[in-house]
Amino acid sequence: MTPGKKNLLTYSYYPGCSLHASGREYDISTQALFKALNLGLKEVPDWFCCGATPAHNVDELLSLSLCAKNLSLADQVEGDLAVACAACFSRLKTTQHHLKEDDTKRHQVETAIAGPASLGKPVKHILEILARDFGLARLEESVKKPLLGLKVAAYYGCLLTRPPEVPELDDCEDPSIMEDILRALGAEPVKWSHRMECCGANFTLSRPGVVLKLSNAILTSAQEAKADCIMVACPLCHGNLDIRQESINKYGTPEGSLMGNIFGSDYIPGSEDGARREMPIFYVTQLAALAMGVPTDKLGLESVIVDPRPLLYEKNLL
Amino acid sequence: MKNKLMHLSNETMNVGFVKKVEALSGTSVRRCFQCGKCSAGCPMTGFMEHPPNRVVRLLQLGQGARVLAGRSIWYCASCETCTTRCPNKVNLAAIMDALRKLSWDADGPSKESYVQLANRLFIENIRTYGRQYELRLGAAFNMKSGQFLKDLMLGPKLLSRGKMKLFHQKNKNLPEIEAIFNRIEEMRKKGEAL
Repeated sequence: MTPGKKNLLTYSYYPGCSLHASGREYDISTQALFKALNLGLKEVPDWFCCGATPAHNVDELLSLSLCAKNLSLADQVEGDLAVACAACFSRLKTTQHHLKEDDTKRHQVETAIAGPASLGKPVKHILEILARDFGLARLEESVKKPLLGLKVAAYYGCLLTRPPEVPELDDCEDPSIMEDILRALGAEPVKWSHRMECCGANFTLSRPGVVLKLSNAILTSAQEAKADCIMVACPLCHGNLDIRQESINKYGTPEGSLMGNIFGSDYIPGSEDGARREMPIFYVTQLAALAMGVPTDKLGLESVIVDPRPLLYEKNLL
Repeated sequence: MKNKLMHLSNETMNVGFVKKVEALSGTSVRRCFQCGKCSAGCPMTGFMEHPPNRVVRLLQLGQGARVLAGRSIWYCASCETCTTRCPNKVNLAAIMDALRKLSWDADGPSKESYVQLANRLFIENIRTYGRQYELRLGAAFNMKSGQFLKDLMLGPKLLSRGKMKLFHQKNKNLPEIEAIFNRIEEMRKKGEAL
Protein backbone atom coordinates (compact mmCIF):
# COMPACT_ATOMS: atom_id res chain seq x y z
CA MET A 1 0.00 0.00 0.00
CA THR A 2 1.35 3.39 -0.93
CA PRO A 3 1.21 5.82 1.98
CA GLY A 4 -1.37 8.56 1.66
CA LYS A 5 -3.47 6.56 -0.76
CA LYS A 6 -6.07 4.47 0.98
CA ASN A 7 -7.15 1.18 -0.53
CA LEU A 8 -10.81 0.67 -1.33
CA LEU A 9 -10.84 -2.70 0.39
CA THR A 10 -8.04 -4.77 1.91
CA TYR A 11 -7.66 -8.49 1.85
CA SER A 12 -5.39 -11.06 3.38
CA TYR A 13 -4.15 -13.42 0.69
CA TYR A 14 -3.65 -17.19 0.59
CA PRO A 15 -2.08 -17.92 -2.82
CA GLY A 16 -1.53 -21.66 -2.42
CA CYS A 17 1.39 -23.77 -3.64
CA SER A 18 0.54 -23.72 -7.35
CA LEU A 19 0.56 -19.94 -7.53
CA HIS A 20 4.19 -19.92 -6.51
CA ALA A 21 5.12 -22.48 -9.16
CA SER A 22 3.11 -23.89 -12.06
CA GLY A 23 0.46 -21.20 -11.76
CA ARG A 24 2.78 -18.26 -11.25
CA GLU A 25 1.04 -16.12 -13.88
CA TYR A 26 -2.16 -16.36 -11.80
CA ASP A 27 -0.28 -14.85 -8.84
CA ILE A 28 1.40 -12.17 -10.98
CA SER A 29 -1.86 -11.13 -12.64
CA THR A 30 -3.84 -11.21 -9.38
CA GLN A 31 -1.37 -8.82 -7.76
CA ALA A 32 -1.40 -6.56 -10.83
CA LEU A 33 -5.20 -6.56 -11.02
CA PHE A 34 -5.68 -5.76 -7.33
CA LYS A 35 -3.22 -2.88 -7.65
CA ALA A 36 -5.05 -1.55 -10.70
CA LEU A 37 -8.40 -1.74 -8.90
CA ASN A 38 -6.93 -0.10 -5.80
CA LEU A 39 -7.56 -3.15 -3.63
CA GLY A 40 -5.07 -4.09 -0.92
CA LEU A 41 -3.63 -7.60 -0.88
CA LYS A 42 -1.32 -8.87 1.85
CA GLU A 43 0.01 -12.40 1.83
CA VAL A 44 -0.46 -14.52 4.97
CA PRO A 45 3.06 -15.03 6.39
CA ASP A 46 4.39 -18.60 6.14
CA TRP A 47 1.16 -20.21 5.00
CA PHE A 48 1.57 -23.85 4.03
CA CYS A 49 -0.12 -26.41 1.81
CA CYS A 50 -3.86 -26.91 2.40
CA GLY A 51 -3.48 -30.62 1.60
CA ALA A 52 -5.56 -30.25 -1.57
CA THR A 53 -7.22 -33.40 -2.90
CA PRO A 54 -4.60 -36.02 -1.89
CA ALA A 55 -4.89 -35.21 1.83
CA HIS A 56 -8.67 -35.41 2.11
CA ASN A 57 -8.68 -38.44 -0.17
CA VAL A 58 -6.94 -40.59 2.38
CA ASP A 59 -7.02 -38.63 5.63
CA GLU A 60 -9.80 -36.15 6.24
CA LEU A 61 -8.63 -35.24 9.73
CA LEU A 62 -5.20 -34.27 8.39
CA SER A 63 -6.79 -32.17 5.67
CA LEU A 64 -9.07 -30.35 8.13
CA SER A 65 -6.19 -29.76 10.55
CA LEU A 66 -3.86 -28.32 7.90
CA CYS A 67 -6.59 -25.95 6.74
CA ALA A 68 -7.59 -24.98 10.28
CA LYS A 69 -3.99 -24.06 11.07
CA ASN A 70 -3.76 -21.99 7.89
CA LEU A 71 -7.00 -20.23 8.80
CA SER A 72 -5.57 -19.30 12.18
CA LEU A 73 -2.38 -18.03 10.48
CA ALA A 74 -4.61 -15.88 8.28
CA ASP A 75 -5.97 -14.15 11.39
CA GLN A 76 -2.63 -12.31 11.71
CA VAL A 77 -3.45 -10.30 8.62
CA GLU A 78 -6.34 -7.90 8.42
CA GLY A 79 -9.16 -8.27 5.89
CA ASP A 80 -11.23 -11.12 4.46
CA LEU A 81 -9.16 -14.01 3.12
CA ALA A 82 -8.75 -13.81 -0.66
CA VAL A 83 -8.04 -17.18 -2.28
CA ALA A 84 -7.22 -17.60 -5.95
CA CYS A 85 -6.91 -21.39 -6.29
CA ALA A 86 -10.23 -23.21 -6.56
CA ALA A 87 -8.89 -26.23 -4.68
CA CYS A 88 -7.51 -24.21 -1.74
CA PHE A 89 -10.74 -22.21 -1.70
CA SER A 90 -12.80 -25.38 -1.57
CA ARG A 91 -10.67 -26.97 1.16
CA LEU A 92 -10.66 -23.88 3.39
CA LYS A 93 -14.42 -23.38 2.99
CA THR A 94 -15.05 -27.09 3.60
CA THR A 95 -13.05 -26.90 6.81
CA GLN A 96 -15.04 -23.92 8.07
CA HIS A 97 -18.29 -25.64 7.11
CA HIS A 98 -17.47 -29.03 8.70
CA LEU A 99 -16.01 -27.64 11.91
CA LYS A 100 -18.97 -25.33 12.46
CA GLU A 101 -21.39 -28.24 12.06
CA ASP A 102 -19.55 -31.08 13.75
CA ASP A 103 -18.36 -30.63 17.35
CA THR A 104 -16.51 -33.97 17.48
CA LYS A 105 -14.46 -33.09 14.42
CA ARG A 106 -13.76 -29.61 15.76
CA HIS A 107 -12.55 -31.06 19.01
CA GLN A 108 -10.22 -33.47 17.18
CA VAL A 109 -8.87 -30.73 14.95
CA GLU A 110 -8.31 -28.42 17.91
CA THR A 111 -6.31 -31.17 19.59
CA ALA A 112 -4.29 -31.67 16.39
CA ILE A 113 -3.41 -27.99 15.99
CA ALA A 114 -3.13 -27.47 19.76
CA GLY A 115 -5.25 -24.37 19.73
CA PRO A 116 -8.71 -23.07 19.01
CA ALA A 117 -10.02 -23.38 15.44
CA SER A 118 -10.66 -19.95 14.08
CA LEU A 119 -13.64 -20.05 11.77
CA GLY A 120 -14.86 -16.48 11.70
CA LYS A 121 -12.89 -14.98 8.82
CA PRO A 122 -14.81 -14.93 5.52
CA VAL A 123 -12.95 -16.89 2.83
CA LYS A 124 -13.55 -15.40 -0.60
CA HIS A 125 -12.58 -16.50 -4.07
CA ILE A 126 -11.20 -13.87 -6.45
CA LEU A 127 -14.36 -14.21 -8.60
CA GLU A 128 -16.50 -13.34 -5.60
CA ILE A 129 -14.34 -10.32 -4.78
CA LEU A 130 -14.58 -9.01 -8.34
CA ALA A 131 -18.28 -9.64 -8.87
CA ARG A 132 -19.68 -8.93 -5.40
CA ASP A 133 -17.30 -6.97 -3.15
CA PHE A 134 -15.94 -4.72 -5.88
CA GLY A 135 -19.13 -5.06 -7.87
CA LEU A 136 -19.92 -5.63 -11.53
CA ALA A 137 -21.03 -2.01 -12.10
CA ARG A 138 -17.80 -0.63 -10.68
CA LEU A 139 -15.82 -3.24 -12.60
CA GLU A 140 -17.47 -2.12 -15.83
CA GLU A 141 -16.70 1.53 -15.03
CA SER A 142 -13.03 0.75 -14.37
CA VAL A 143 -12.48 -0.91 -17.75
CA LYS A 144 -9.98 1.05 -19.83
CA LYS A 145 -9.56 -1.37 -22.72
CA PRO A 146 -12.75 -3.40 -23.29
CA LEU A 147 -12.12 -6.90 -24.62
CA LEU A 148 -14.31 -6.32 -27.66
CA GLY A 149 -14.75 -9.22 -30.04
CA LEU A 150 -13.09 -11.77 -27.76
CA LYS A 151 -15.22 -14.90 -27.55
CA VAL A 152 -14.48 -16.63 -24.27
CA ALA A 153 -15.59 -20.02 -22.97
CA ALA A 154 -15.90 -19.60 -19.18
CA TYR A 155 -14.79 -22.83 -17.50
CA TYR A 156 -15.85 -23.39 -13.87
CA GLY A 157 -14.59 -26.89 -13.28
CA CYS A 158 -15.58 -28.75 -10.14
CA LEU A 159 -14.72 -27.09 -6.91
CA LEU A 160 -15.89 -23.50 -7.43
CA THR A 161 -19.54 -24.50 -7.15
CA ARG A 162 -19.66 -28.03 -5.75
CA PRO A 163 -20.88 -29.33 -3.34
CA PRO A 164 -23.58 -26.63 -3.21
CA GLU A 165 -23.55 -25.98 0.55
CA VAL A 166 -19.80 -25.37 0.77
CA PRO A 167 -18.48 -22.73 -1.66
CA GLU A 168 -21.60 -20.53 -1.62
CA LEU A 169 -20.25 -18.89 -4.76
CA ASP A 170 -23.01 -19.45 -7.27
CA ASP A 171 -25.61 -21.96 -8.46
CA CYS A 172 -24.14 -25.49 -8.49
CA GLU A 173 -25.52 -26.50 -11.90
CA ASP A 174 -25.97 -23.25 -13.78
CA PRO A 175 -23.64 -20.56 -12.45
CA SER A 176 -23.17 -17.22 -14.18
CA ILE A 177 -20.56 -15.36 -12.15
CA MET A 178 -17.78 -15.84 -14.73
CA GLU A 179 -20.01 -14.85 -17.64
CA ASP A 180 -21.12 -11.75 -15.72
CA ILE A 181 -17.52 -10.72 -15.19
CA LEU A 182 -16.70 -11.34 -18.86
CA ARG A 183 -19.61 -9.14 -19.98
CA ALA A 184 -18.47 -6.39 -17.62
CA LEU A 185 -15.02 -6.58 -19.25
CA GLY A 186 -16.57 -6.19 -22.70
CA ALA A 187 -15.87 -9.76 -23.82
CA GLU A 188 -18.42 -12.14 -25.26
CA PRO A 189 -19.06 -15.34 -23.25
CA VAL A 190 -20.06 -18.28 -25.45
CA LYS A 191 -22.65 -20.91 -24.58
CA TRP A 192 -21.06 -24.31 -24.34
CA SER A 193 -21.57 -27.74 -22.86
CA HIS A 194 -18.51 -28.56 -20.78
CA ARG A 195 -18.11 -25.62 -18.41
CA MET A 196 -18.87 -27.71 -15.32
CA GLU A 197 -17.12 -30.95 -16.30
CA CYS A 198 -14.00 -32.21 -14.55
CA CYS A 199 -10.63 -31.70 -16.28
CA GLY A 200 -8.98 -34.70 -14.59
CA ALA A 201 -7.51 -32.60 -11.79
CA ASN A 202 -4.62 -34.19 -9.93
CA PHE A 203 -4.52 -37.31 -12.10
CA THR A 204 -2.04 -35.27 -14.12
CA LEU A 205 0.71 -36.80 -11.98
CA SER A 206 -0.53 -40.36 -11.50
CA ARG A 207 -2.63 -41.12 -14.59
CA PRO A 208 -2.12 -38.50 -17.31
CA GLY A 209 -4.28 -40.57 -19.68
CA VAL A 210 -7.32 -39.57 -17.61
CA VAL A 211 -6.46 -35.89 -18.01
CA LEU A 212 -5.92 -36.27 -21.76
CA LYS A 213 -9.35 -37.81 -22.17
CA LEU A 214 -11.32 -35.38 -20.00
CA SER A 215 -9.46 -32.23 -21.04
CA ASN A 216 -9.77 -33.24 -24.67
CA ALA A 217 -13.56 -33.22 -24.28
CA ILE A 218 -13.43 -29.74 -22.74
CA LEU A 219 -11.16 -28.30 -25.45
CA THR A 220 -13.27 -29.88 -28.19
CA SER A 221 -16.48 -28.53 -26.74
CA ALA A 222 -15.04 -25.00 -26.46
CA GLN A 223 -13.89 -25.13 -30.07
CA GLU A 224 -17.29 -26.39 -31.23
CA ALA A 225 -18.85 -23.37 -29.54
CA LYS A 226 -16.46 -21.21 -31.62
CA ALA A 227 -14.69 -19.79 -28.59
CA ASP A 228 -11.35 -18.01 -29.14
CA CYS A 229 -10.06 -19.01 -25.73
CA ILE A 230 -11.02 -20.49 -22.37
CA MET A 231 -11.09 -18.60 -19.08
CA VAL A 232 -10.36 -20.49 -15.85
CA ALA A 233 -10.06 -19.62 -12.15
CA CYS A 234 -8.06 -22.63 -10.95
CA PRO A 235 -4.35 -23.38 -11.47
CA LEU A 236 -4.99 -27.12 -11.82
CA CYS A 237 -7.59 -26.65 -14.57
CA HIS A 238 -5.15 -24.29 -16.25
CA GLY A 239 -2.30 -26.76 -15.99
CA ASN A 240 -4.35 -29.57 -17.51
CA LEU A 241 -5.82 -27.53 -20.35
CA ASP A 242 -2.65 -25.56 -21.13
CA ILE A 243 0.34 -27.76 -20.33
CA ARG A 244 -1.30 -30.97 -21.61
CA GLN A 245 -2.84 -29.32 -24.68
CA GLU A 246 0.07 -30.01 -26.98
CA SER A 247 -0.02 -33.75 -26.34
CA ILE A 248 -3.82 -33.78 -26.69
CA ASN A 249 -3.56 -31.99 -30.04
CA LYS A 250 -0.69 -34.10 -31.32
CA TYR A 251 -1.56 -37.56 -30.13
CA GLY A 252 -5.24 -37.37 -29.21
CA THR A 253 -6.57 -39.34 -26.27
CA PRO A 254 -5.36 -42.83 -25.44
CA GLU A 255 -8.55 -44.49 -26.68
CA GLY A 256 -9.48 -41.97 -29.35
CA SER A 257 -13.09 -40.97 -29.90
CA LEU A 258 -15.53 -42.63 -32.29
CA MET A 259 -15.60 -39.55 -34.53
CA GLY A 260 -11.84 -39.36 -34.22
CA ASN A 261 -11.50 -42.92 -35.45
CA ILE A 262 -13.73 -42.30 -38.45
CA PHE A 263 -12.47 -38.87 -39.48
CA GLY A 264 -8.93 -39.02 -38.17
CA SER A 265 -7.95 -38.13 -34.63
CA ASP A 266 -7.95 -34.38 -35.26
CA TYR A 267 -11.52 -34.10 -36.48
CA ILE A 268 -13.50 -31.46 -34.57
CA PRO A 269 -17.14 -31.13 -35.58
CA GLY A 270 -18.24 -27.51 -35.91
CA SER A 271 -14.86 -26.08 -36.83
CA GLU A 272 -14.30 -24.89 -40.37
CA ASP A 273 -11.96 -27.53 -41.72
CA GLY A 274 -12.48 -30.06 -38.95
CA ALA A 275 -9.00 -29.36 -37.65
CA ARG A 276 -8.08 -28.73 -34.07
CA ARG A 277 -6.50 -25.39 -33.31
CA GLU A 278 -4.57 -24.11 -30.36
CA MET A 279 -6.81 -22.76 -27.64
CA PRO A 280 -5.18 -20.20 -25.33
CA ILE A 281 -6.18 -20.58 -21.67
CA PHE A 282 -6.46 -17.40 -19.58
CA TYR A 283 -6.87 -16.86 -15.90
CA VAL A 284 -9.77 -14.57 -15.01
CA THR A 285 -7.27 -12.15 -13.48
CA GLN A 286 -5.23 -11.99 -16.70
CA LEU A 287 -8.27 -10.98 -18.76
CA ALA A 288 -9.51 -8.56 -16.11
CA ALA A 289 -6.10 -6.93 -15.69
CA LEU A 290 -5.76 -6.66 -19.48
CA ALA A 291 -9.11 -4.85 -19.61
CA MET A 292 -8.01 -2.54 -16.79
CA GLY A 293 -5.12 -1.39 -18.94
CA VAL A 294 -2.36 -3.15 -17.00
CA PRO A 295 0.75 -3.32 -19.25
CA THR A 296 0.81 -6.67 -21.04
CA ASP A 297 4.26 -7.55 -19.72
CA LYS A 298 2.81 -7.67 -16.20
CA LEU A 299 0.24 -10.37 -16.91
CA GLY A 300 2.61 -13.33 -16.98
CA LEU A 301 1.59 -14.09 -20.57
CA GLU A 302 5.11 -15.29 -21.35
CA SER A 303 4.96 -18.20 -18.90
CA VAL A 304 1.97 -20.05 -20.33
CA ILE A 305 2.62 -22.86 -22.79
CA VAL A 306 -0.02 -22.14 -25.45
CA ASP A 307 1.03 -18.60 -26.44
CA PRO A 308 -2.02 -16.31 -26.20
CA ARG A 309 -0.28 -13.32 -27.77
CA PRO A 310 -1.15 -14.06 -31.43
CA LEU A 311 -4.84 -14.14 -30.48
CA LEU A 312 -4.63 -10.89 -28.52
CA TYR A 313 -2.72 -9.29 -31.38
CA GLU A 314 -5.37 -10.42 -33.84
CA LYS A 315 -8.10 -8.87 -31.66
CA ASN A 316 -6.13 -5.64 -31.24
CA LEU A 317 -5.75 -6.12 -27.52
CA LEU A 318 -1.99 -6.33 -27.26
CA MET B 1 -17.83 -61.38 -10.20
CA LYS B 2 -19.92 -60.45 -13.22
CA ASN B 3 -22.02 -63.53 -13.86
CA LYS B 4 -21.65 -65.08 -10.46
CA LEU B 5 -24.48 -65.14 -7.98
CA MET B 6 -23.74 -63.32 -4.77
CA HIS B 7 -24.63 -65.35 -1.71
CA LEU B 8 -25.49 -63.22 1.26
CA SER B 9 -25.01 -64.58 4.72
CA ASN B 10 -23.36 -63.62 7.98
CA GLU B 11 -20.14 -65.10 6.65
CA THR B 12 -20.09 -63.19 3.35
CA MET B 13 -21.34 -59.84 4.67
CA ASN B 14 -19.11 -57.49 6.61
CA VAL B 15 -21.50 -55.08 8.29
CA GLY B 16 -18.86 -53.74 10.67
CA PHE B 17 -16.90 -52.37 7.72
CA VAL B 18 -19.97 -50.55 6.39
CA LYS B 19 -20.58 -49.01 9.81
CA LYS B 20 -17.00 -47.75 9.82
CA VAL B 21 -17.52 -46.18 6.39
CA GLU B 22 -20.70 -44.53 7.60
CA ALA B 23 -19.01 -43.17 10.72
CA LEU B 24 -16.05 -41.79 8.77
CA SER B 25 -18.13 -40.22 6.02
CA GLY B 26 -20.99 -39.01 8.20
CA THR B 27 -23.50 -40.29 5.67
CA SER B 28 -25.76 -43.33 5.44
CA VAL B 29 -25.53 -45.80 2.56
CA ARG B 30 -29.02 -47.03 3.40
CA ARG B 31 -30.53 -43.82 2.05
CA CYS B 32 -29.58 -44.79 -1.51
CA PHE B 33 -32.40 -46.15 -3.68
CA GLN B 34 -30.21 -46.79 -6.73
CA CYS B 35 -31.49 -44.10 -9.09
CA GLY B 36 -28.06 -43.99 -10.69
CA LYS B 37 -27.77 -40.20 -11.00
CA CYS B 38 -24.29 -40.33 -9.45
CA SER B 39 -23.01 -42.71 -12.10
CA ALA B 40 -24.74 -40.76 -14.88
CA GLY B 41 -22.90 -37.58 -13.95
CA CYS B 42 -19.58 -39.14 -12.97
CA PRO B 43 -16.75 -38.18 -15.35
CA MET B 44 -14.69 -41.18 -14.29
CA THR B 45 -17.12 -44.14 -14.70
CA GLY B 46 -15.29 -45.14 -17.87
CA PHE B 47 -12.25 -45.96 -15.75
CA MET B 48 -14.07 -47.79 -12.95
CA GLU B 49 -15.13 -51.42 -12.74
CA HIS B 50 -17.79 -50.50 -10.18
CA PRO B 51 -19.59 -47.23 -11.06
CA PRO B 52 -20.49 -45.08 -8.02
CA ASN B 53 -24.06 -46.35 -7.59
CA ARG B 54 -22.78 -49.93 -7.56
CA VAL B 55 -20.17 -49.03 -4.96
CA VAL B 56 -23.02 -47.93 -2.69
CA ARG B 57 -25.07 -51.03 -3.54
CA LEU B 58 -22.13 -53.28 -2.69
CA LEU B 59 -21.78 -51.47 0.63
CA GLN B 60 -25.50 -51.94 1.32
CA LEU B 61 -24.91 -55.65 0.81
CA GLY B 62 -21.90 -55.68 3.11
CA GLN B 63 -19.41 -56.31 0.28
CA GLY B 64 -16.77 -53.77 1.27
CA ALA B 65 -13.92 -56.11 0.35
CA ARG B 66 -15.07 -56.28 -3.27
CA VAL B 67 -15.03 -52.48 -3.47
CA LEU B 68 -11.57 -52.17 -1.96
CA ALA B 69 -10.17 -54.86 -4.22
CA GLY B 70 -11.02 -52.84 -7.33
CA ARG B 71 -9.60 -49.57 -8.56
CA SER B 72 -12.86 -47.59 -8.55
CA ILE B 73 -12.14 -45.69 -5.35
CA TRP B 74 -8.75 -44.54 -6.63
CA TYR B 75 -10.20 -43.34 -9.91
CA CYS B 76 -12.67 -41.00 -8.21
CA ALA B 77 -11.61 -37.44 -9.05
CA SER B 78 -13.39 -35.88 -6.03
CA CYS B 79 -15.31 -33.59 -8.39
CA GLU B 80 -18.34 -33.77 -6.05
CA THR B 81 -20.86 -34.12 -8.91
CA CYS B 82 -22.42 -37.21 -7.28
CA THR B 83 -22.85 -35.51 -3.90
CA THR B 84 -24.31 -32.44 -5.58
CA ARG B 85 -26.91 -34.36 -7.56
CA CYS B 86 -27.96 -37.10 -5.12
CA PRO B 87 -31.71 -36.77 -4.45
CA ASN B 88 -31.32 -38.58 -1.13
CA LYS B 89 -28.36 -36.59 0.16
CA VAL B 90 -25.95 -39.50 0.18
CA ASN B 91 -22.56 -37.84 0.36
CA LEU B 92 -20.87 -40.18 -2.08
CA ALA B 93 -17.67 -38.13 -2.33
CA ALA B 94 -17.27 -38.52 1.45
CA ILE B 95 -17.95 -42.26 1.17
CA MET B 96 -15.15 -42.48 -1.40
CA ASP B 97 -12.84 -40.57 0.97
CA ALA B 98 -13.74 -42.98 3.78
CA LEU B 99 -13.16 -46.04 1.58
CA ARG B 100 -9.78 -44.71 0.46
CA LYS B 101 -8.79 -44.06 4.05
CA LEU B 102 -9.73 -47.58 5.12
CA SER B 103 -7.91 -49.06 2.14
CA TRP B 104 -4.91 -46.80 2.86
CA ASP B 105 -4.79 -47.83 6.53
CA ALA B 106 -4.94 -51.49 5.55
CA ASP B 107 -2.00 -50.66 3.28
CA GLY B 108 -4.06 -50.89 0.14
CA PRO B 109 -5.27 -54.24 -1.09
CA SER B 110 -6.26 -52.30 -4.24
CA LYS B 111 -4.97 -52.86 -7.76
CA GLU B 112 -4.37 -49.18 -8.31
CA SER B 113 -0.93 -48.23 -7.08
CA TYR B 114 -0.02 -45.11 -9.09
CA VAL B 115 -2.69 -42.92 -7.55
CA GLN B 116 -1.76 -44.14 -4.08
CA LEU B 117 1.89 -43.46 -4.77
CA ALA B 118 1.09 -39.92 -5.96
CA ASN B 119 -0.99 -39.28 -2.84
CA ARG B 120 1.75 -40.61 -0.58
CA LEU B 121 4.40 -38.40 -2.20
CA PHE B 122 2.12 -35.35 -2.07
CA ILE B 123 1.54 -35.77 1.67
CA GLU B 124 5.22 -36.50 2.27
CA ASN B 125 6.00 -33.22 0.51
CA ILE B 126 3.78 -31.30 2.94
CA ARG B 127 5.52 -32.88 5.91
CA THR B 128 9.03 -32.28 4.56
CA TYR B 129 8.74 -28.90 2.85
CA GLY B 130 5.48 -27.31 4.04
CA ARG B 131 4.53 -26.34 0.52
CA GLN B 132 4.42 -28.49 -2.59
CA TYR B 133 7.78 -28.90 -4.30
CA GLU B 134 6.66 -29.92 -7.75
CA LEU B 135 10.05 -30.92 -9.14
CA ARG B 136 10.54 -33.42 -6.35
CA LEU B 137 6.96 -34.64 -6.69
CA GLY B 138 7.44 -35.41 -10.40
CA ALA B 139 10.95 -36.84 -10.06
CA ALA B 140 10.10 -39.07 -7.10
CA PHE B 141 6.96 -40.31 -8.84
CA ASN B 142 8.91 -41.28 -11.94
CA MET B 143 11.62 -43.02 -9.94
CA LYS B 144 9.26 -44.95 -7.68
CA SER B 145 6.75 -45.89 -10.37
CA GLY B 146 9.50 -47.00 -12.76
CA GLN B 147 8.21 -44.67 -15.51
CA PHE B 148 11.54 -42.91 -15.80
CA LEU B 149 10.72 -41.05 -19.01
CA LYS B 150 7.20 -39.92 -18.12
CA ASP B 151 6.66 -36.24 -19.01
CA LEU B 152 10.40 -35.76 -19.32
CA MET B 153 9.96 -33.34 -22.21
CA LEU B 154 7.70 -31.15 -20.07
CA GLY B 155 10.44 -30.53 -17.50
CA PRO B 156 12.58 -28.07 -19.50
CA LYS B 157 9.47 -26.26 -20.75
CA LEU B 158 8.17 -25.72 -17.23
CA LEU B 159 11.59 -24.83 -15.82
CA SER B 160 12.35 -22.28 -18.53
CA ARG B 161 9.00 -20.56 -17.97
CA GLY B 162 9.46 -20.41 -14.22
CA LYS B 163 6.54 -22.81 -13.77
CA MET B 164 8.72 -25.26 -11.90
CA LYS B 165 11.25 -24.18 -9.32
CA LEU B 166 14.59 -25.92 -8.90
CA PHE B 167 14.59 -25.44 -5.15
CA HIS B 168 11.85 -25.71 -2.59
CA GLN B 169 10.43 -22.74 -0.71
CA LYS B 170 11.41 -22.21 2.90
CA ASN B 171 8.71 -22.25 5.54
CA LYS B 172 8.94 -21.21 9.19
CA ASN B 173 6.01 -23.37 10.21
CA LEU B 174 7.70 -26.71 9.47
CA PRO B 175 7.98 -27.72 13.17
CA GLU B 176 4.30 -26.88 13.61
CA ILE B 177 3.35 -29.03 10.58
CA GLU B 178 5.38 -31.93 11.95
CA ALA B 179 3.61 -31.50 15.29
CA ILE B 180 0.19 -31.67 13.60
CA PHE B 181 1.14 -34.96 11.91
CA ASN B 182 2.45 -36.34 15.21
CA ARG B 183 -0.57 -35.26 17.26
CA ILE B 184 -2.93 -36.91 14.77
CA GLU B 185 -0.93 -40.15 14.92
CA GLU B 186 -1.03 -40.00 18.71
CA MET B 187 -4.80 -39.43 18.78
CA ARG B 188 -5.27 -42.48 16.55
CA LYS B 189 -3.03 -44.59 18.75
CA LYS B 190 -5.09 -43.65 21.79
CA GLY B 191 -8.29 -44.36 19.87
CA GLU B 192 -9.51 -40.77 20.15
CA ALA B 193 -9.93 -40.40 16.42
CA LEU B 194 -10.67 -42.69 13.49
